[in-house]
Amino acid sequence: MKFLIALKNTTDESKNILEIGCKIAEGFSADLTICYIGKQSRALIEGDVNLARQTLSEWNIHHPGLEVLEWAFNILKEKGFAPDSEFNIENLVEEKGRIRMVLPKTTNYQIRLVLREGDLLSELNNEVKHGEFDIAIMGFPRRKRMTHKMAQFLDTSIFFVKNFKPSWDYKILLCVDDSRATKRAVILSTRISKQFDADVISVTVSKTSFFGKGYRNAHTWAERYLKRGKIPFESKLLSGNPVDVFVDEAGEDHIIIMGKAKGNEILKFIFGSKPIHTAQRANCPVLMVN
Amino acid sequence: MRLPNDLIRNLLFWAQQKRWLIIIAFLGVVMYQLPYPDGISIAGYRTLILCIIVISLIITEPVPLPAVALLIAVLEVVFHIASPVEVANSYMNDSVFFIMGSLMMAVAIVHQGLDTRLALGIIRLTGNKVKNIVLGFTCVSALLSSFIGEHTVVAMMLPVGLSLVRNCGKNKPIPNLTALILFSIAYGSTVGSIGTPSGGARNAIMLEYWRAITDSGLTLTYFQWIIMAYPMVIIGMLSTTFLLQMAFKPEFNRMDTAIRRLKIQVAHKGKITGNEFLTILIFVIVFLCWIFLNEQYGLGIIAIGGAFLYMATGLVEWKQVSQNTNWGVILLFAGTISLGVQMKNTGTALWIGNSLMSLFSPLIDQFTMIPYILNIFLTMLLSNIMSSSGTVAVLGPITLSMGGDPAYMGMTTAISSAFGYFSAIAAPACMIIYSSGLVKMTDFLKAGWRMAIMSTITLLLLYKFYWPLIIGFTNFK
Repeated sequence: MKFLIALKNTTDESKNILEIGCKIAEGFSADLTICYIGKQSRALIEGDVNLARQTLSEWNIHHPGLEVLEWAFNILKEKGFAPDSEFNIENLVEEKGRIRMVLPKTTNYQIRLVLREGDLLSELNNEVKHGEFDIAIMGFPRRKRMTHKMAQFLDTSIFFVKNFKPSWDYKILLCVDDSRATKRAVILSTRISKQFDADVISVTVSKTSFFGKGYRNAHTWAERYLKRGKIPFESKLLSGNPVDVFVDEAGEDHIIIMGKAKGNEILKFIFGSKPIHTAQRANCPVLMVN
Repeated sequence: MRLPNDLIRNLLFWAQQKRWLIIIAFLGVVMYQLPYPDGISIAGYRTLILCIIVISLIITEPVPLPAVALLIAVLEVVFHIASPVEVANSYMNDSVFFIMGSLMMAVAIVHQGLDTRLALGIIRLTGNKVKNIVLGFTCVSALLSSFIGEHTVVAMMLPVGLSLVRNCGKNKPIPNLTALILFSIAYGSTVGSIGTPSGGARNAIMLEYWRAITDSGLTLTYFQWIIMAYPMVIIGMLSTTFLLQMAFKPEFNRMDTAIRRLKIQVAHKGKITGNEFLTILIFVIVFLCWIFLNEQYGLGIIAIGGAFLYMATGLVEWKQVSQNTNWGVILLFAGTISLGVQMKNTGTALWIGNSLMSLFSPLIDQFTMIPYILNIFLTMLLSNIMSSSGTVAVLGPITLSMGGDPAYMGMTTAISSAFGYFSAIAAPACMIIYSSGLVKMTDFLKAGWRMAIMSTITLLLLYKFYWPLIIGFTNFK
C-alpha cells in the first residue's frame, strides 16, 4: 500500500500527524511519502523570488519546505522508519512539477520526500494522482469548505488528523451503513485496531427507529468480520441524525472511520454528505475510506 | 444519458479551480451586451471591459500571466479597438526593452557572487550594534535598489540578512530582531526602488505612459527622475530605520556572535576577482549611459546593450539568462502598455478619470490635493493586492487622466506603487521574507501602517513644496 502524509510546518501538530501516519503505515507495511506543499508566489514576482532563492541556496539557506522535509526525515529516522542516510540537498530530483529526494530503500517499504509549490488542493490532487495513494494523511483544514473540497476531490481515502494526542488511548468508531465503501472501512478498521490495540465500536444510525434491510445486513456483516478478526468490539444500532450521533459518540477520544459517500457529485458539491459533515464537525481524527 | 460520477467530479474540480475565469468570462459577456454609458464611445466601452477583465485576471490568476498578455492582443483586435498592425506596434517599445534589459542584467549581476562582498562591506560599516546594522541594511538596500533594481538587491541582500539571523546562536527565539533585519532589507529596497527609472519596471512603464499617453508627450530623463524622486528615497530610508525599530524592539542590542560567524563565512572570498570587477565596470558604464545618453539612445537600448556586454564578455551565459529571466512578465507588461495606449486613444482613461473625479468634485474645488490623495490611496490599495509593477501598468493611464498635472500625477503613481507595505505579495522581497516562515502576516501590518503614513505624508509634502520648486530645473514640461 502507499500512504501520503502532507505536512505544512514543524509544529507539534505536524509531529502528531507524522506519528499517527507512521503508526498506521507500519501496520500495513506501506510505502510512505512525505509531501510539503508551499504557497506559490504571485506570478508577477515569481521570477524575482526564484532569483533570490538561487542566491539563498548558495548560502545554504534552502526553501522552507526542504527544512520541513528534513525535520520530518529526522523524525522518521529516529523512529526507524527512514533509512540511516543523510538528508542531502544534492539528491533532489526535479520531475513533473515536483521536487523529490532520492533515498535508498533499506526496509521492505519505501520512504519518499516530495516538495511541491502551488494551490494546495490542486497540488495534493496531482500528487495523489501521481502516486496512486491508498490513504492521504493530513492536518485538519482551517476552513470548512476546504475540508469539503478535499473530501470530494481527492480520489483516495483521507485521514484528517484533528485534535490528536499521542498519549491518549483511542478507540475506533466504525460508522456502518449500506454504502459500498463501508466494507473497505470495516477491513481498514480491523487493521488499524490491531495496530493501535484499540477497541472498535461499530455504529449504525438510522434517522428513524426502523432499520432497513441494507442497514441490518451491513451491520451484521461488520459484526461477523470483526468477530472473525478477533477484534474486541461493541456494536450499536442507534436512531437520530447520523452526523450528530457520530460526532457525539466519538467525542475526542475516538478515531472515526467511515466510508466516503458515493452519491451524486453535484449534490455533494452543493450540500455536502454525511462523511463530509462528520469530518467538519468532529473533534477527533477522521478517516474517510474511498 | 447519465454522465459517470468520475467525469462529473473532474468537471466540478476544473470548474472550482477555474471559477474566477468562468466568473470573469461571464461578466465580460454580460458587460459586452449592456448598452454603453454616456460620454464614452463603443471602442472606449469595449476597452473598459477589456481593462476590467485584465485587472481581474491579474489579481485572481486563473490563467498564466503570459496568456493574459496574449488575450489583450486578441481582444484589442476582436473588439475593434485597434487594427492588428497598431496592436503589434504598441507591444514593443523602449520601456519593454528597458524591462527586458534590466531583468537580464540582474541575472548577470546576481550570478557573480557579489553578495559576499556586500556582506563584508556592510559589516565593516556598521559594526556589531543592532541599530547600526539595521541602518546599514536599509540604506545599502535602498541606495543599491535605486540603480540596479529591487529584485537584484533583494537577491543579494537577503542571504546576508538571513545568515545573520541564523548565526545569532541564541537559544531563545528572536522574532523581533529577525523581523527587524528582514524588514530593513525588504522595505529598504522597496523605498529605494523609486529613486531612478532603473529601480523597477513600474518606473519604466510610467515613462512610456508619459510619452505615449499625455497630450504633450511628456519626457523625463534619468537624471531628472533622480532629482524628482531621490529626496523621497533619502527621507524614506532614514525614517524606515526609525519606524522599524519602533515596531520591532530587538531582543538584544549587539550581535557579536552573528557578526563573527558571518565574517568567517565570507572571509574566504579574498580579493576582488576580475569577473567581479568587470561586472561592476559594465554596470557603471550602463549607468553613466543612462544618465548622459538616454535622450539620444533611450533607456531600453542602453539596458539591452548592457545585457549584451555581460553575455559578450562571458560573465553570464545565454542559458542562465534564458532560464532566469521572467519572459512572461515582460510579455505581460508589453500587453498592459498596449492596453494603456488604447485606453488613451479610445478615451476610456479620460472617462474613468472624469467619473472618479466627479464623485469628489465639491471637495476638489476646495482642496487641490484631493486627486493626488485619491491617486495615492488607489495605487497603494491595488499594489497591496496585485504587486507594484502590475499596478502602474493598469492604473497609470487612469491616474494620468484624473485631472491633476500629468507630470505630478504620474510621479505620484510611480512612487506610491512602492507603498505595498501591508502584504507579502506586493514585492519580491516581502514575498521571500514571508515564505521563509520567519515573519508573520501580522508583522507586515505592524510595520506597514507606520510606513504607509510616513510615505504618504512625505510624498504629499514633496508634491506641495519640493516639486514646484524644482520643476523648472528638471525641464519636465
